[in-house]
Amino acid sequence: MGLLRDVQAEIETGSLSSGGWVSGNGGRAGIETTCYALMALHDRQGPARDDAIDLLLRTQNPDGSWPAFDGDDPEGCWTTALAVIALHFVRSPSALVEKSLLWLLDNDGREGHWFWKWKFRTVDRAVQFNPEKYGWPWFPGTVSWVIPTAFSLIALQQLFPCCRTERVTNRIQLGMEMLRDRACPQGGWNAGNGIVFGSPLKPHIDSTAIALLALTEGKEAVAIQALNWLRQACIDCPSAYSLAWSAIAFSVHQDQAFNHCIAHLRKALSLTDAISNIEILSLAAIAIKAGESNANPFQVAI
Amino acid sequence: MRTLSKWRFEMNRRDWLIGSAAVAGSALTVRFQRRKYFRDLRPKRSRIAILHADRYSDKLDELVYDGLRLFNLDVRGKSVLLKPNIVEYIPGKPVNTDAQLIGAAAEAFLRLDAASVTVAEGPGHHRDTDLLVHETGLGDQLTHRKIAFVDLNRDEFIKTKLQANYSGLGQLWLPRTVLTSDFIVSMPKVKTHHWTGVTFSMKNMFGIVPACRYGWPKNVLHWAGIQESVLDICATVRPNFVIADGITAMEGDGPLNGSPKYLNTVLLADDPVAADAHLAEALGFEATQVGHIRQASQFLGNIARNRIWHLT
Repeated sequence: MGLLRDVQAEIETGSLSSGGWVSGNGGRAGIETTCYALMALHDRQGPARDDAIDLLLRTQNPDGSWPAFDGDDPEGCWTTALAVIALHFVRSPSALVEKSLLWLLDNDGREGHWFWKWKFRTVDRAVQFNPEKYGWPWFPGTVSWVIPTAFSLIALQQLFPCCRTERVTNRIQLGMEMLRDRACPQGGWNAGNGIVFGSPLKPHIDSTAIALLALTEGKEAVAIQALNWLRQACIDCPSAYSLAWSAIAFSVHQDQAFNHCIAHLRKALSLTDAISNIEILSLAAIAIKAGESNANPFQVAI
Repeated sequence: MRTLSKWRFEMNRRDWLIGSAAVAGSALTVRFQRRKYFRDLRPKRSRIAILHADRYSDKLDELVYDGLRLFNLDVRGKSVLLKPNIVEYIPGKPVNTDAQLIGAAAEAFLRLDAASVTVAEGPGHHRDTDLLVHETGLGDQLTHRKIAFVDLNRDEFIKTKLQANYSGLGQLWLPRTVLTSDFIVSMPKVKTHHWTGVTFSMKNMFGIVPACRYGWPKNVLHWAGIQESVLDICATVRPNFVIADGITAMEGDGPLNGSPKYLNTVLLADDPVAADAHLAEALGFEATQVGHIRQASQFLGNIARNRIWHLT
């Protein structure tokens, strides 16, 4: 637990006076980083946690979405799903997420439009995918990608554990089908499609882990294949960021690779000179705590 | 004899359609021909140097240093930013600017008394930049030579008015590290690209746009038009210099798929348009076949042979 406390203390120290945390070298609070840091500090009492919640509430757009960072243009983006997950996890009583959920439901990948479906089926076939199966884009008006789709699926599943409307049920189903459709032939996920110009793409560790967090309904083949790939990929991975995401996914899938991955993560953190990146520290803290019951913010109730 | 009313009727049916089409066509022509750049940044003359190198080795240090000296660049006391092309690590596929060449360039600028040299990139698809830097061997070069790296996807962003209007985006959030650098060097991997024809020094600047703000990939810009976005970005942040990795180039469906093409060349240039025009020809294209090179030749740099001096 010593490492976890040290990491949490480091995160608290990095909190901005205006609330939240910067992404990388940024000067303003990044919504994504703030969400991870808030999840990492969910059981800590103190101004850093409270200021982060205030920042999220303050930066929410009038339509319920969130921008990419504090001071950004008031356009919603993929951070909306993350903010919903984070505020749900810390049980913020004042969070106004109904509008956010409507925003998520209204936000389709552009290939969902009939014209683009037609284009991707007939004219633009360089990228192999089924445009009938779409999820969520990084930004409205663009096509679906794996990570924003996975985050949106987690948010919807967490907020509607049961009694889902037909619209919510259909959207979740469609998003899951999109993830299955875009998986790489060898297992796991790249950023978007698994095959481009006829060649299979190499999966990414973080995309694979995040997609696995959204696909937890039973042990389906695509998830089993992805878990197999992820276990192998983690063996030689030196990146604390990718190892943390992997551990979070192994935890949700109760996979035996979790303990090994955490050991590897601890080693990566100790070998890397003074990791100061709050996003990485926060994900590491979430991963280390994920072994504890109900401590994984990305857990979808089954 | 044709009556006036009949004549009017005929005009309405046929000539009106022809006339309307002509008016619409003229309007479209005017729209596409309207000047979309705000400043003419073309130098009176451009210089390029083509250096021969048949492999990646320590010898690149001297080769690049000697090549830079041909240009008498004044980088003393300046902050130099090297922008390589780091996309994805795919063993056996030459998709990234070689790490050894990046290291050699960094060393050369320090030897020319640059105040600082920073390597900076914002990978388009890969969110784990640390892992990508490690896998491509760039991490070892940076550590060995004590060179700083900045992940442009997660830098501080400044809302910036674009200095051309091809994409219609108007403005972009761009990284402070790029905007505050004194001397920007675009270091592309020479390769063909499925959507834009080629990836050279101008297309390489697409990577300065922060994914943290525009997504992985920067899909907002894809929909605004990749070539159009490249022109707007380069009009706003014009690279001061180019060091192109054509030792092992790539042909095929770039940016990720393709076969090695051994050009055995490192190209240096003080004009990104001149550099890209030469590289296009090296890959067997007419420079004017590539939309963004053709447009850029009107305001960003030179492609006319009589305005390009070869130093080697």
